[in-house]
Amino acid sequence: MLEKQRNAQMYLPVYIAAILIYLLAGILQPRFLSWSNNVNLLTRIVPLLLAGIAQTFVLLTGGIDLSVGAIIGLTNVVAASLPFSGTAYNIILWLTVPLLIGAAIGFSNGLIISRWGFPPFIVTFATSTIWTGVALLIMDVPGGDISLGLYRTITGKLFSIIPVPLLLIIFFVASSYIVLRYTSFGRSIYAMGGNKQVARESGIPVERIELYAYTASGLFAGLAGMYLSAIMVSGDPLVGDPYVMNSIAVAVIGGVALSGGRGGVQGIIGAAYIFYLIDNLLNLLGVSTFYQYVAKGLVIILALTLTSRDRGLLLSQNHSKFTERLRRPNTKRN
Amino acid sequence: MQMPKPSMVNYFKQQKVILLLLCVIIGMLIIGEVLAPGFSSFKHIQTILRTASFVGLAAIGQTLVILTGGIDLTIASLITMGQIFGCLFVNASDANLWWSILLILLIGGGFGLISGLGVSYLKISPLVMTLAVSSLVNGVTLISVDGAPKGRASPILEKLGAGSIAGMPSMVWIWLILTLLVVLFLRKTILGRQVYHLGTNDIAARYSGIRTARVRTMVYVLSAMFSVLTGILLAGNTARPFLGIGKEYTMWSITAVVIGGTSMAGGSGGYLGSVAGTIIIIMLEGLLTVISIPEAGRKIANGLIILVMIMIYYRQNKKR
Repeated sequence: MLEKQRNAQMYLPVYIAAILIYLLAGILQPRFLSWSNNVNLLTRIVPLLLAGIAQTFVLLTGGIDLSVGAIIGLTNVVAASLPFSGTAYNIILWLTVPLLIGAAIGFSNGLIISRWGFPPFIVTFATSTIWTGVALLIMDVPGGDISLGLYRTITGKLFSIIPVPLLLIIFFVASSYIVLRYTSFGRSIYAMGGNKQVARESGIPVERIELYAYTASGLFAGLAGMYLSAIMVSGDPLVGDPYVMNSIAVAVIGGVALSGGRGGVQGIIGAAYIFYLIDNLLNLLGVSTFYQYVAKGLVIILALTLTSRDRGLLLSQNHSKFTERLRRPNTKRN
Repeated sequence: MQMPKPSMVNYFKQQKVILLLLCVIIGMLIIGEVLAPGFSSFKHIQTILRTASFVGLAAIGQTLVILTGGIDLTIASLITMGQIFGCLFVNASDANLWWSILLILLIGGGFGLISGLGVSYLKISPLVMTLAVSSLVNGVTLISVDGAPKGRASPILEKLGAGSIAGMPSMVWIWLILTLLVVLFLRKTILGRQVYHLGTNDIAARYSGIRTARVRTMVYVLSAMFSVLTGILLAGNTARPFLGIGKEYTMWSITAVVIGGTSMAGGSGGYLGSVAGTIIIIMLEGLLTVISIPEAGRKIANGLIILVMIMIYYRQNKKR
């Protein structure tokens, strides 16, 4: 009961804000509410959602993954430069190779971070530069091609009524929710994000969980790269650039604490909508695109200061800071 | 309040890092000279130092912030702002120069104040806070010039950014003076030592009477001011305004600080390391360009050097 109440407190504001912005956009421009515009919105939100989920897995462990963008870029160009274009082989390769690459990069990040105890920020920063370089080696300018069938499938409709992107959103958010909430892997992520030392002492294989969390992050980033290649029908080595910071912003607006252990994917759809709708709304209002930067900055700051969970953070700040300091010497020695 | 002195162990550790970095620099000069004769000529070293000086100035702020255990992602946007506003306000006239610099420093400091207040009083994570503020800065820059930057630098500013004084690029002199000031500030002043204490142990710092929130806020303000200053000087270097000129500087500054041996957790390291780190990344960039490695290869090399450096530093920590 208590957890349910807290969940409502955490995630309700995000969805209320998303709905308000959505309705405001609808009032300003009735065409905004049209079915086709909504399908279009869904199509565009998927990669942001996938990147946000990727980031969530790692943020919950108390780490950070700056290589999300590089993985998206690399898997994107790999997906667009697969051989046998237009045949079934191509589609089979498209479904497997980028995913494996994404997971492998995530795995290698996790290995460096968990085995050697290096700070995630700087490790993923370094690997992100490396993998962006590799992506540029494969394709230095946007190009390549994707089977048109893939494009049609992904932007199409199931039974000619349910848009496929909607299904993808439901599937990926639900499956990551289930993994985080109901599997021992997911619960261990929360435990180690809450307090690494306590988690280790209560028998959780912290290093392995951390390794898997980064692998999951790479996997979801790979999915985002694949998806982007399908809707763009081509590859672009730098397509992932904005997703590094946007994925963090979406996860944080969606209620994930950067200190780890708190939050989840429950708020992420609302957060992605808020993040994406701001641009849309300002366009509808005829405001210069320059103001969108200001608006985005303000929304992130507002989301952090106004939501109830952060007031909670402020109140318990002494406590959490203190335990953080207690943990630090141990994590340093690793 | 008693001033804690840096322990001898720490002192030697830091000297060792600087020594190691010096060896790397000398090694790179030798390799460069072998691969491309003239790489280590006095003239080319001057060019390297001039390019490095801009990154070095930006790295001052980043070093201070990282020493407190934070991170500053506003550097790129603030440098662009400084450069655009520099050209806009100065508008090719030396008469405008001094009040322009003052005004831009104030504007930059204002944005630093927003970051600092958010981080220290609202307890927002520095990563997200500075990310949000950098979005604000980008917006304000674009709005104030309406997307089309105007104006140009004045003769004195160009002399500072691109010219030479007494046989050395004036930027190198500026960098040298500021390096001296920053190193003295961090080692010899109470405020400088407090920056370290904030990074080592925030709670202990607060209980020993340091006004942690105030010092932390000041660090972000200083960082922002150094960033816009870098931007103004870049205006002198390029003479014309360019949107996105600062784009790479956030990442460069972080790389320089990390290579320089300052711990991301805060509390240990110093600016001299960042100076060496800056020179190393600029030299590496130049070296790889000279032997015509494409951008892709340069990126991979940059990533690898960071990984190698953290391996070296963390192994040292383990031994200790």
